[in-house]
Amino acid sequence: MVSYRVIGQPTPRTDGTEKVTGAARYTADVQLPGTLRAKALRSPLPYARIIRIDTARARELPGVHAVLTGADVRGVLYGKSYRDATVLAQERVRFIGEQVAAVAAVDEETAQRAVDLIQVEYEELPAVLDPLGALREDAPILHPEMNSYAGLPRPLEKPSNAFSREVREKGDVETGFAQADLVVENTFTMARVHQGYLEPHSCLVWIDQQDRVQVWASNKAPHSLKQGLAVALGIPPEQVCVNPVVIGGDFGGKGAIWDEPLCYFLALRTGRPVKMVMDYAEELTAANPRHPAEVRVTTGVKRDGTIVTCDIEGYFNTGAYAAFVPLGFLPGPRHAVGPYRIPDARVRAYHVYTNKVPAGHMRGPGEPQAIFAMESHVDVIARTLGLDPAEVRLRNVIREGDANALGELYHDLHGAETIEAALEASGYHAPPPAPDGPVRYGRGVAIGERAPGGGQTHAAVTFRPDGSVVVHTSIFDQGSGTYTTIRQMAADVLGMSPERIDVEVWDTPETGFDSGAGASRNSRMASEAVHEAARAARGALFALAAELQGWPQDRIALEDTVLRRTDTGERAELSSLLARARAPVTGSADFDDTTHAHVTAFTVQVAEVAVDTETGQVRLLRFTSVHDAGRVLNPMGHEGQVRGGAMQGIGFGLMEELAIADGRVTTPSFADYKVPSMADIPQMQAIAIESDGGIGPFNIKGIGENPVSPAAPAIANAIEDAVGVRITDLPITAERVYRALRAKNP
Amino acid sequence: MQVKTVVNGQEQSHDVEPRTLLVHYLRDDCDLTGTNIGCDSSSCGACTIHVDGEAVKSCTMFAVQADGTAITTIEGLADDDGTLHPMQQAFHENHALQCGYCTPGMVMAATSLLDEVPNPTEGEVREGLEGNLCRCTGYHNIVQAVLAAAGGGSK
Repeated sequence: MVSYRVIGQPTPRTDGTEKVTGAARYTADVQLPGTLRAKALRSPLPYARIIRIDTARARELPGVHAVLTGADVRGVLYGKSYRDATVLAQERVRFIGEQVAAVAAVDEETAQRAVDLIQVEYEELPAVLDPLGALREDAPILHPEMNSYAGLPRPLEKPSNAFSREVREKGDVETGFAQADLVVENTFTMARVHQGYLEPHSCLVWIDQQDRVQVWASNKAPHSLKQGLAVALGIPPEQVCVNPVVIGGDFGGKGAIWDEPLCYFLALRTGRPVKMVMDYAEELTAANPRHPAEVRVTTGVKRDGTIVTCDIEGYFNTGAYAAFVPLGFLPGPRHAVGPYRIPDARVRAYHVYTNKVPAGHMRGPGEPQAIFAMESHVDVIARTLGLDPAEVRLRNVIREGDANALGELYHDLHGAETIEAALEASGYHAPPPAPDGPVRYGRGVAIGERAPGGGQTHAAVTFRPDGSVVVHTSIFDQGSGTYTTIRQMAADVLGMSPERIDVEVWDTPETGFDSGAGASRNSRMASEAVHEAARAARGALFALAAELQGWPQDRIALEDTVLRRTDTGERAELSSLLARARAPVTGSADFDDTTHAHVTAFTVQVAEVAVDTETGQVRLLRFTSVHDAGRVLNPMGHEGQVRGGAMQGIGFGLMEELAIADGRVTTPSFADYKVPSMADIPQMQAIAIESDGGIGPFNIKGIGENPVSPAAPAIANAIEDAVGVRITDLPITAERVYRALRAKNP
Repeated sequence: MQVKTVVNGQEQSHDVEPRTLLVHYLRDDCDLTGTNIGCDSSSCGACTIHVDGEAVKSCTMFAVQADGTAITTIEGLADDDGTLHPMQQAFHENHALQCGYCTPGMVMAATSLLDEVPNPTEGEVREGLEGNLCRCTGYHNIVQAVLAAAGGGSK
């Protein structure tokens, strides 16, 4: 592998000091003079017609500056691409937590008091709460006007709650079933889970003296926020400026347009800046959690474990609106065919409206659901045939030259090697610990694969007169550490020490469109743009040296603070050269490739569990996460992504469930909605297998989403290894294991 | 009601509503926004501060209950010359943070833990900080940072 000075070195974050001192400025910390605080009245019913709203008493409360209802924002629809969301409910409410009216007041308490004074009369309608119920003939259609919404994925002959029906196939699955020795079918369900970032959604909107809409928001996709706001509000995009702030975690949940349109209308009405911060009960009830899903996997297999055909049918519960999902539907269900060489395959994914909280993106959108189903199913195949589950994966995994089940072809495949490494590192084949009283031990393996996404981004590298450098980027880091890797890459290309390089973020008017963090594409986009911009800046610097020093331009090297002529050894101080420059010494670059990378990254995880056969309690003892990583830019950041992502996958597997009863979220706080705490972490190994097989100038692969998905099926597979029961429903609670054990041994 | 405190060595006196939470007093009245609000229901620990030397989740206490106390927030932990507290330094060097939102509370809870248990085991750190949530890091590096700080410096 090529070696670098700074890339590949464990590097603490560029923003570490501001974050450990409390100086980091999140949206809620931004203070503008005269700012009003907004709160919303939310629907108490899952589905109802609004008959009357009385805001008189709220308006009279001292300190209240504005009260808005649906009538004030009629006709405004917004969304990432499919625009089905209203700023405030229009005539009917479609989930408990939907915003019906909003107040801007001098402070949050006054706003909340005014909200409590608003009276709404509803006529309750029969709600549809699950996708299969929503597809019945007699179910009410929640959005009968859907064909008039902009961005509906595909027009429908007649409106249906299944507003998106995506089918992907290769070959003919029926042919495959005819050739199979055995057909194995299983259905899996996965709970709704919340991203659990600790910073709740927040925004601040101010219409400045030049009528520009100034926005600060906990949003990692500021350019799509800008465009979406402009489209929804009917104003030119250049009138909107999204300002950089620190983002307190995202995990997919902070890419949508949120309360910004509402705050815009309140700011317009009051002439004041308006800030809105959700409290966490609102987050858990009315933000955009991961879609719960039901996925049926049917495979035709040969006796030796070869999978010859695979048919997937998945139902994804969208909830009341699809506006918060970039495409309206999830891209991830295609992963339900696994990274396997299957001749015939089909994936049918239905996204269905119900009267529940609207779902959104969460770290590998659709993938944890899809991969839990397939990777659990592969173990069922193996056990049915009496084969080792790891061997079945090795037999079917795509190798160099293979297309995957849906016909996609990636290069430089490291799947088998990653499986072997995980088996070795975890001691998968060693005998499990001996039974200990009622406790049994087992191990399970699962695999996932994900290529870095594409996108658009911009970078500029500029030498300051004092010899330091500033790199500008259009990416808003949501916490993953992109600014640190940008600094490392610039340091290596320029030949400077990273301490002399600052990273600054452009606000939205200063560049063209940036896709925003997501799809494990940050490192790919940043590496392409920063590499090219740094090379251009270095070229400009050498041209300056050639001009001022009379040196041949191809005989110059930069060594941190000194320029050296390579043929004679002459030296010149960088800062004194730059002081003589008559124009800025700078280079810029745009990256624009929205296709997925031609390389993918495998993840193989092994779980070792202890299961108490008397209580059903599962303890995750050891966890091994092995990554086909390409070139790792910052091992510290990379490992941090692995450990954090794996813990989210473990939470999805063992404990998290945003439970809803009769349409109402029954886990509206972290006391009820359990995420892993420090006491829950297993002994975890995080291993990166590096290679030159990545993409871009530094051969990187993505890591943001990869560590999440195989964790839950690895745990389920370990449980079956330990106690012989197959849990098909997430989360795998002690109750579920207990019931399965009792069903097996009554 | 008038609430007088000493925050990070500075006297503060503000007229607040009886139901104002301490975290809002710090953020809105004292303009100390380093203390973050996560769950506002005492579950996540993002708003942890020290009141008279004890770690407190500042969303669980009314401002009036803090009248007459000495408070330390994350802004008061480093030296006046900007030298980081060993715990802050350890969090930075051990990559014990990503988005940083839990970090001020986590650092304040961790310094308080070391006041009580100067040389904790890994298990004691896990148990001691169980009440502070982090969704980014998977906790491993936080545990390492606390152990490094307890060991008298970074690892």
